[in-house]
Amino acid sequence: MQQADRSVERVGEGFPRTGWLQNLLSGRRGRRLREYLTGYLMILPSVVLIFTFGLFPVGFALYISLHKWKIKHGPFVGFKNYASAIDSLAYVLFFGVAVGLAYLAIRTAREILYKAREHNERPWIHLLLGSLHAGSVVLFLRYVVVLAPEVLGIADKVKGLERTRELFIQLMGEALRAESVWPAFLQWITIFALAWLLTIVLWRSIASPRRNFYLTQTSLALTSAAGAFIIAWFTWTEMQKAIADAWETGAEAPIGIQIVSIAAGVILLGIAWKLWTSAVGHTSDRVFLFRGLAALFLIISAWLLIGELPAVIEAGDKDLWQGLQVTVFYSLGTVPFQLGISLVLAYLLFQAVRGKEFFRVVYFLPYVTPAVASAVVFNLIFGQRASSPINAIITFFGGEHQKWLLEPNGIFTLLGKYLGIDVPTWAAGPSLALVVIIIYSIWTYVGYDTVIYLAGLGNISNEINESAAIDGANRWQIFRHITLPLLSPTTYFLSLIAVIGTFKAFNHIYVLRHPMALGTVDTFSVVIFDEFFTKTRFGHASAMAFVLFAIILALTYVNNKVQGSRVFYG
Amino acid sequence: MDNSAVKTPGGRYLFSQRLGRVFIYVVLILGAFASIVPFVWMLSASLMTRNEALSSQLTTKQPLLERFVYSEGELDELLSENIPDFVKETDALGVHELKMTAREYANQSEIYWVADDSVYRGGLVNYLFAWSEGNFSEFLTNSVQITFITLAGQLIFSIMAAYAFARINFPGRNLIFGILLSSMMIPGMVTMIPNFISITWFQRIGPLQWFDNWPALTIPFMGSVFAIFLLRQFFAQIPDDLFDAAQIDGASHWQFLWRVVLPLSKAPILVLTVLSFIGSWNALAWPLLVTKTPDWRPIAVGLFYFVDAEAGSWLNFQMAGAVVTIIPILILYFLTQRQFTESISRTGLKG
Repeated sequence: MQQADRSVERVGEGFPRTGWLQNLLSGRRGRRLREYLTGYLMILPSVVLIFTFGLFPVGFALYISLHKWKIKHGPFVGFKNYASAIDSLAYVLFFGVAVGLAYLAIRTAREILYKAREHNERPWIHLLLGSLHAGSVVLFLRYVVVLAPEVLGIADKVKGLERTRELFIQLMGEALRAESVWPAFLQWITIFALAWLLTIVLWRSIASPRRNFYLTQTSLALTSAAGAFIIAWFTWTEMQKAIADAWETGAEAPIGIQIVSIAAGVILLGIAWKLWTSAVGHTSDRVFLFRGLAALFLIISAWLLIGELPAVIEAGDKDLWQGLQVTVFYSLGTVPFQLGISLVLAYLLFQAVRGKEFFRVVYFLPYVTPAVASAVVFNLIFGQRASSPINAIITFFGGEHQKWLLEPNGIFTLLGKYLGIDVPTWAAGPSLALVVIIIYSIWTYVGYDTVIYLAGLGNISNEINESAAIDGANRWQIFRHITLPLLSPTTYFLSLIAVIGTFKAFNHIYVLRHPMALGTVDTFSVVIFDEFFTKTRFGHASAMAFVLFAIILALTYVNNKVQGSRVFYG
Repeated sequence: MDNSAVKTPGGRYLFSQRLGRVFIYVVLILGAFASIVPFVWMLSASLMTRNEALSSQLTTKQPLLERFVYSEGELDELLSENIPDFVKETDALGVHELKMTAREYANQSEIYWVADDSVYRGGLVNYLFAWSEGNFSEFLTNSVQITFITLAGQLIFSIMAAYAFARINFPGRNLIFGILLSSMMIPGMVTMIPNFISITWFQRIGPLQWFDNWPALTIPFMGSVFAIFLLRQFFAQIPDDLFDAAQIDGASHWQFLWRVVLPLSKAPILVLTVLSFIGSWNALAWPLLVTKTPDWRPIAVGLFYFVDAEAGSWLNFQMAGAVVTIIPILILYFLTQRQFTESISRTGLKG
């Protein structure tokens, strides 16, 4: 650290002492500047790494998903990967993103207007600066997109040659000066320089103390507006292309109608929710009216969505839809049980019991155990052989031994067979193999949830419980009307984490899946990994990964809206 | 907290309360039992012979470990009778060749291990097999090395960044921090594919060997938003007075960080260390992608392939491998249990 410290000093000393620099780095202003430099230097490695492996890949994945990419970079195919994954829903999804960006732009613009009106200012000059900055962002993105294939191509060019630094620098130079790349670079750098030049020149003449706010917000609003426009336009052209293709083959392509009805369904759902919540706090007649209307809208939207969805996703990827179905079963099977059991355990542990520490350590064990190892153990406990521990127990109690992890049939079908009832296929439920994985997940995560619940219980002040007890509430009443509502933020947090976790679940499922289970345990993430690792369809897998991302974002948003309004933050 | 322990004037629990307490303990013990049973079975099966493990018995009749010493030449004669060179196994996935000669595996009802002039017999032989034939000794060293390289980078970079975000007021600080935080929402499946392509590119152009080597397994994890976040929360709590005093004494940021902040932040660094170990013991998808040979295979991937291919239907070996995988993490967990659980309940995050 001290060595690095000296190197910072040397930056100041090493330059030729040309007066202005000395001025810049000494004195009070200089000290501040040196402080900034230290700050940037300290965050530099982390920022570079997180950008390279955490943020840049998102844009890169988008780029990959728009290409045919089987191990090697293929031609640009537009929305084909998305269309083959989720059919026409892809267009709905991208229009949704465009609408979201437009909404962001409008909201930011409104914020600026309010602020300006409040302080009686007219920040018109920021419109110019903001549009220049937004333009430079857009042009930079375009430059990167144009540059990407050239830079990626370097890897192929050095094949078989001796990898030297000179060769790399030469090839990189060629890539940067390629015919398609250079003009894009010039355009970007011009606008970029112009934007900063004007900002610096005009900065002093802007007196407002809120100039920083105005500049960042206008830039943000204009950038997202531009993004919304570009995405909407791109989706539109892709849609036209898809319709034209369909016409040529003589098939009907009701994409437009589908989009309209899906969008209408979603909007109605939103309105119904708004009405339902706004009914709270009004007089009773209005509550009744609002709730009735909300219910009506809800029914219409549900009918629209459920009626239209199968047609919209008809040509989508079968594995993906099965993965989604499996994930939903997995969520429904894991989250409620996991939360219920851990709530009971935490509540009992919270009573003064001896060996509280011991129990906590023991409950937490499955969670810290490496997932692959504990999954291997479950793999054998729930083995298909007649002598596996679970089958031994079942036969001991007079049951029939099962195939467990190798059983693709639904649990309700099996139960029905046992009881002599014919269960229809739609009611088959999760496969027995998936049930084993659900049991594994509950076993693993109960300890974690218990610890978090314990922390939540510790935050409830004892006075409330005591005063309720003095008022004559019994223990169940205290639990139901005081503890549970006060724990709702914890429950909310845990359920969100758990549901998102089921969509991200990978390790234990990858270990416990078996070809004989016919993919009935493959959750969303496993399907994506398979598409990527086994089938090597990179573009397709990337498109699927974005669908996963969209689902997780939507879940978080809906969870925030729905549960956030019901959670009681003491 | 103590509202259930209401006592009668005589100092004894009421009968109904006593019944309630019994019920509480029954439920808690049932929960503990369910958590522990798989571990107990794993341990027990890891000491069995193959036949015992395949049957439904709960304990082994094998001794733990016995050693027999033979004089030179005598042993080879003993082993050469009626035993095939390689033991082959058929199961649902097809025929597997067990990488084990008759020398190591003599008889299905007893387990032997032959080393030089002596023969070992007993349950612990399963561990000897997993350790040397199953390559778990290598996987373990690989995982430890991967963890330490990742951890070193992560700690150095994150401590610097967290300090800057907590203590230095540079322009764009909140914006940059917000952007970094937002990257925590991105699911790993989205970034995995492009990262794989990036690393292929780095491998082709660069002087560094990425695949089947430490860079691909460690460098992408050195920049950790979670670590920065955790440390920043901690650094922000350090009183300003300390910093002011240091500044009056003429200490620079680096000196303050090195002399004052670091000695104070042993707790979060410990937590990050444990989380880093757990993280690299859990990693499966990414190491599967970037390791084609066993040279740098971490322990989770090692166990995965061991169970999938080498150990086949030899449940006893599988369980021995699982025990070897789990033990280091359990030791670490028991040592740091208190701080670890506390940090989990404070941040609610695993890393």
